[in-house]
Amino acid sequence: MQKHNQKEHLYKLLVIGDLGVGKTSIIKRYVHQNFSPHYRATIGVDFALKVLNWDAETVVRLQLWDIAGQERFGNMTRVYYREAMGAFIVFDVTRPATFEAVTKWKEDLDSKLILPNGKPVPAVLLANKCDQGIDVLMNNGIKMDQFCKENGFVGWFETSAKENININEASRCLVKHIIASESDPVQAVEPDIIKPHLNSSKIVSCSACFKS
Amino acid sequence: EYEEKTGRAQRPLSPKQNVRKNLDFEPLSTTALILEDRPANLPAKPAEEAQKHRQQYEEMVVQAKKRELKEAQKRKKQLEERCKLEDSIGNAVLTWNNEILPNWETMCCSRKVRELWWQGIPPSVRGKVWSLAIGNELNITHELYDICLARAKEKWRSLSTGGAEVECEDAGFSAADREASLELIKLDISRTFPSLCIFQQGGPYHDTLHSILGAYTCYRPDVGYVQGMSFIAAVLILNLDTADAFIAFSNLLNKPCQMAFFRVDHGLMLTYFAAFEVFFEENLPKLFAHFKKNNLTPDIYLIDWIFTLYSKSLPLDLACRVWDVFCRDGEEFLFRTALGILKLFEDILTKMDFIHIAQFLTKLPEDLPSEEFFTSIAAIQMQSRNKKWAQVLAALQKDNREMEKGSPSLKR
Repeated sequence: MQKHNQKEHLYKLLVIGDLGVGKTSIIKRYVHQNFSPHYRATIGVDFALKVLNWDAETVVRLQLWDIAGQERFGNMTRVYYREAMGAFIVFDVTRPATFEAVTKWKEDLDSKLILPNGKPVPAVLLANKCDQGIDVLMNNGIKMDQFCKENGFVGWFETSAKENININEASRCLVKHIIASESDPVQAVEPDIIKPHLNSSKIVSCSACFKS
Repeated sequence: EYEEKTGRAQRPLSPKQNVRKNLDFEPLSTTALILEDRPANLPAKPAEEAQKHRQQYEEMVVQAKKRELKEAQKRKKQLEERCKLEDSIGNAVLTWNNEILPNWETMCCSRKVRELWWQGIPPSVRGKVWSLAIGNELNITHELYDICLARAKEKWRSLSTGGAEVECEDAGFSAADREASLELIKLDISRTFPSLCIFQQGGPYHDTLHSILGAYTCYRPDVGYVQGMSFIAAVLILNLDTADAFIAFSNLLNKPCQMAFFRVDHGLMLTYFAAFEVFFEENLPKLFAHFKKNNLTPDIYLIDWIFTLYSKSLPLDLACRVWDVFCRDGEEFLFRTALGILKLFEDILTKMDFIHIAQFLTKLPEDLPSEEFFTSIAAIQMQSRNKKWAQVLAALQKDNREMEKGSPSLKR
């Protein structure tokens, strides 16, 4: 109630990933604390707002942009990346193709969105539908850690919107990294995973751009 | 001792008083109100109290009777209204069947028909009217539908046995094909009107919806399957036989506005949004300024509305009425409907910030009042400085073409 000394942060977060991986369900679970197996497909973009009492002095308002997953909409929906502060990239553990698309989503995100300090926006990988028992990761946590390192994710979580597993945790992880990158814009805090060589590979692709 | 007695005697009063207070919510039947004397083993009520209770009882009965009478009148009125509505629908069905449909070409544009059309087409003739109004410019026959469906089924079979060969075969459209894969359509079918429970796996129209979407990807592999299509096909299936639904579906998607959206022709979509904004500013200048101030661009809400022709965002009965007039007036009615929605909620929207407007418009209230809604649409003028929708759109398209000639970079 001590509103006068409370800081308020407003963050725009993207929720992206292939069609039908459960983006809308995750948001519904996170914001409305419920689940239905019958969500309608998202066309374009849907919105949700989540308010977090981060700590005694900080209120965090998360503006969630639930972006349609079909590849075809890419041209149309990439304008929605603008000014986002973080992203969840979601795949469906029961459909290997949706995991293969993760790198594509990440590259797409990084190519269209860079923080003022030149770094990519913090992104958390969500392996959704982990309640289904059909797991393409085959509990291979080490490989996933490696994958996240290589692809510049600040973390990953096995989630289930249906069983409410790890969604709050994933969000806290993302918000933590956003706050950290904000409070130290020049030299972002030691991230969980990001490796220096990621940036060098970026430079390579940039110089390639200049050439063409 | 006396005090104790009177104290006990007075106690039953308080629940009665409660009953009286809550009477407004009591069951409306007088049979629930029976005044009984105290059981014989208890001391009798003092005369004064008994008199008071009798009086209260009578008041209650009178109130209850009054309410019952009122309810009965209300029910009677509702029944009369329903009969009237059914009569008018019945009459409308007769008019459509006997007068309009047999003389479609000559009558469809008459003032009388257009007015009747605005009232909503009766469900029993809706499919026929939609078919006629959408037309069949593409000359699709039932046989062509069967051929496309057979091809789709063949493709699905080979995809489920091993996809590699198929991809090589159709190298030209491999990307579109992959998108049009069985899996994508399957995923979306179960997410089409989930609350109706008729398009889901095992539901009566699951296979029909699957067939139409599959056949379309074979008919137009360059367009393929795009999200939103499943909703359009579903609404058509609810009103037409399968092959006729396919014909209407293909012809509907072939209209310029639908083609622009479903092929995701971004430049042309932006032109449509720009034209929409011209009429937005003209009709609702205050709200327009508020949206501008909040950076709320029309794509945020229009994409969903236009792609699904409102079938996802409006209650189905209202969506069908929008389709009715869309069939009559063409694409401009889609944008007029959008303005009608904005007008209907103008007061609330003006008080909201970006995220709340965006949330509101991408998930409209489920209990939209239909008459107010259509009154609101009717109040929208599709004229801007004496220019009609088509003229505004054409002018913007011309500007765009000239700009593209001038500089190769994309607008926006």
